[in-house]
Amino acid sequence: MRKVFAMLFLAIIGFYLFNTFALIPFGKNKMNADVAASYLNSGVQKTGAVNIVTSIVVNYRGFDTLGEVTVLFLAATGMGALLFRKKPMQRSRQNASVIVKTGARILFPLIIILGVYVFVHGHLTPGGGFQGGAIIASGFLLMFMSYRTYKVNHKVLSLFETFAGTSFVLLGLFGLIWGTSFLANILPFGEANTLFSAGIIPLIYIAVGIKVGSELTAVLDTMLKTVK
Amino acid sequence: MNTLPYFDPALMIALPLLAAFLIPLLKRASERIPKFVPLLILGFNLYESIALLPHSLQKPIVVIIAAWQPPLGINLTIGPLGNILALIISLVGFVVAVYNIKFVLEEPGEKYYMLFLLMITGATGMVLTGDLFNLFVFLEITSISAYALTAFIRDRNGAEAAFKYLLIGSISSTMILLGIALIYASTGTLNMADIAQKIGQVDSRITLAALILMIVGFGVESEIFPLNGWAPDAYSQAPTPVGAVFGGIVVKAGVYGLARVIYTIFSFQGVFHFILIMGIITLLMAEMSALRQKQIKRMLAFSSIGQMGLVLIALGLATQNAVAGGLFQMFNHALIKPLLFLSAGYLVYYSGSKDIGDLDGMGKIKPVTSFFFAFGAFALMGLPPLNGFWSKLIIISETVKSGYIVLAALALTGSIIEAVYYLRVVGRLYFKSPEEHVKTKYVHASAVVAMSILAGLALFAGLFPDVILHYLQPAARELMDKTQYIQAVIAIK
Amino acid sequence: MIYYIGAFSLILIGIYAVLVKRNLIKIVIGLSLVDAGVHLLLIAIGYIKDKTAPIFSNPSLSAGDMVDPVPQALVLTAIVIGVAVTALALTIVIRLYDHHKTLNINKIRELKW
Repeated sequence: MRKVFAMLFLAIIGFYLFNTFALIPFGKNKMNADVAASYLNSGVQKTGAVNIVTSIVVNYRGFDTLGEVTVLFLAATGMGALLFRKKPMQRSRQNASVIVKTGARILFPLIIILGVYVFVHGHLTPGGGFQGGAIIASGFLLMFMSYRTYKVNHKVLSLFETFAGTSFVLLGLFGLIWGTSFLANILPFGEANTLFSAGIIPLIYIAVGIKVGSELTAVLDTMLKTVK
Repeated sequence: MNTLPYFDPALMIALPLLAAFLIPLLKRASERIPKFVPLLILGFNLYESIALLPHSLQKPIVVIIAAWQPPLGINLTIGPLGNILALIISLVGFVVAVYNIKFVLEEPGEKYYMLFLLMITGATGMVLTGDLFNLFVFLEITSISAYALTAFIRDRNGAEAAFKYLLIGSISSTMILLGIALIYASTGTLNMADIAQKIGQVDSRITLAALILMIVGFGVESEIFPLNGWAPDAYSQAPTPVGAVFGGIVVKAGVYGLARVIYTIFSFQGVFHFILIMGIITLLMAEMSALRQKQIKRMLAFSSIGQMGLVLIALGLATQNAVAGGLFQMFNHALIKPLLFLSAGYLVYYSGSKDIGDLDGMGKIKPVTSFFFAFGAFALMGLPPLNGFWSKLIIISETVKSGYIVLAALALTGSIIEAVYYLRVVGRLYFKSPEEHVKTKYVHASAVVAMSILAGLALFAGLFPDVILHYLQPAARELMDKTQYIQAVIAIK
Repeated sequence: MIYYIGAFSLILIGIYAVLVKRNLIKIVIGLSLVDAGVHLLLIAIGYIKDKTAPIFSNPSLSAGDMVDPVPQALVLTAIVIGVAVTALALTIVIRLYDHHKTLNINKIRELKW
């Protein structure tokens, strides 16, 4: 009975919303001359980053990204608070087979390097701090899954987290001190399409990458420890 | 009036974030430091919002971030409304931080202070920002820390209340995101002033849908009737200071989001009647439910919903005096509800039970705490020399002036019900004989300081309502007339 | 247009799961589905036919060849927020399971819903 009600309710809402969204043409160029087009037209000259999405995420809308980093930080903190136990817990995974273990050992450094590559080149190629951080955390997840005894030091992780988080805010404050406003770019742009370009964008993305990587690793580790 | 020097307002958000990131490091230096970090940071925010007030009253301050002019970059737009709310938020946050100093906490203490500080930062960001998507991000910061804090006491019911809150909260924030998608697709901008300027040219079907989505989204934090199921559980299961912050800060930020959306961004005529109706339903439902509650904190939570119903009525009337009255009501509620929560927290602690029935005779054993509770109850139900009286008077008389006699009568009924259940509790505190097994511990000095600040301000607002209204009128004008807000942002370009 | 339909299907399936399913994990999956649907919708709004990703990796590309970059940036933010909410939801589910030893929401209701 409640299923029928739920379906009816959703059908009505869905129909109404879909009809509204159908008023927005799909696939047409509806970019407003003001905002999106000026990002595309002048983004490269004004931010030095060839990846316009990165330049929006880190530079034009950098404040959002600061908020976003905070949200992830909050989730990790909240998780640490809610799953806090006096006696540390263990992971319950069985040991994996030799093949998996050997493979994981070979792949782990490569995955970490890939993650670092992705966040260092965030302003040049698709990718960036969040993606790179997620890749690094997936490397750690592989190790957690294959080695029962593999441990990460939470103190070191939280040190990385603190360091990365404060350096993001400090970069913003430097912009306030030596530039015109919070998060303003204070470094030279360099030559577009090279690694050392785009001012503070790569620096922020490196901080974000380290932060996301260590946070997600801590989250995974906390969640996997369920047995006394 | 000579003005205090002020710093870049972006610091009001940047510094708390910096401090929250640093707390784990500071904790290693000494276990005691994390306690005082929120105090310091919120003290700074309080100073900053007081120093900004004379400037923002003249014209909205537009703070550019990342050196990009609006609408390209994100900017903070601090009008009178945002500034006054930021002031209230920092004030209540500061007072609760004072109370926190001696609050008995479970492990891990430093995480509590991080979440607490970030929740208040999120609310501050919500009232200051001038960008719609940024508003969403700060709303998420506020609500995610609220979910975590609800379950902070790791008992059975805390987790359940938090899950309920999270379920409602995250679905509704998705609704906001859908609304943002509609608005971006049809106006091509995310800056609120820019949207307000362009919304007139958009197909009215799209605006209506976006408006409904936004009201649903912000309705959760501002506790509109069908969306407030989370509130009583979350308020009663969270640690006492967190309950106080929910009532004093989170709800205010939610109402700000709602007001900003319906007045500045959309200003759709039909919606005001809808808000009015929702307000009266919210008020009556909440007051009826509060009357039936056996637990004191649940009762306070329902009363908080009822107060928000009154604010919604004021917003729905859409006259300048009514909106000013609504803001005054919000101001009063932000002072009194934390006072009630903090004192009720101590009463619950003494009696060892959350039930109202176990509070008999507390007035004789614990005169200080009971006095503050009674003071808060009288102020909230609107006894004449206290502040609740003036705001209720303004709202109800404005309702009558606008011709809604029936609504005014219903709102008055709501207030009477409210008086009944508060008087019942106060009566139990003072006129029943106490039970034996009461813990004989004194109130901590920090709690007394916190509660006296709140009570003193409430008394001041009650004795000199004109002073407060003098500052609230420009804020109401900002909502009623959006041209100044738009002009301030466009002028930067 | 197919993207709109897909996105709305995801959103509606997600809300359906939240409303009807009794298992906490399934409810959390429902929440993630709603999130995914909204993200797909945002990206679909930014899509322009026959245009490419907004990265000037090749000198022959000009601004006219690219899709709207703003929704992509917004989705990046929204995904991270979605991850955070999911992580916290799962944490709360773990706590609920610790206390009640069940994932069935009907057996957990101690507070008035």
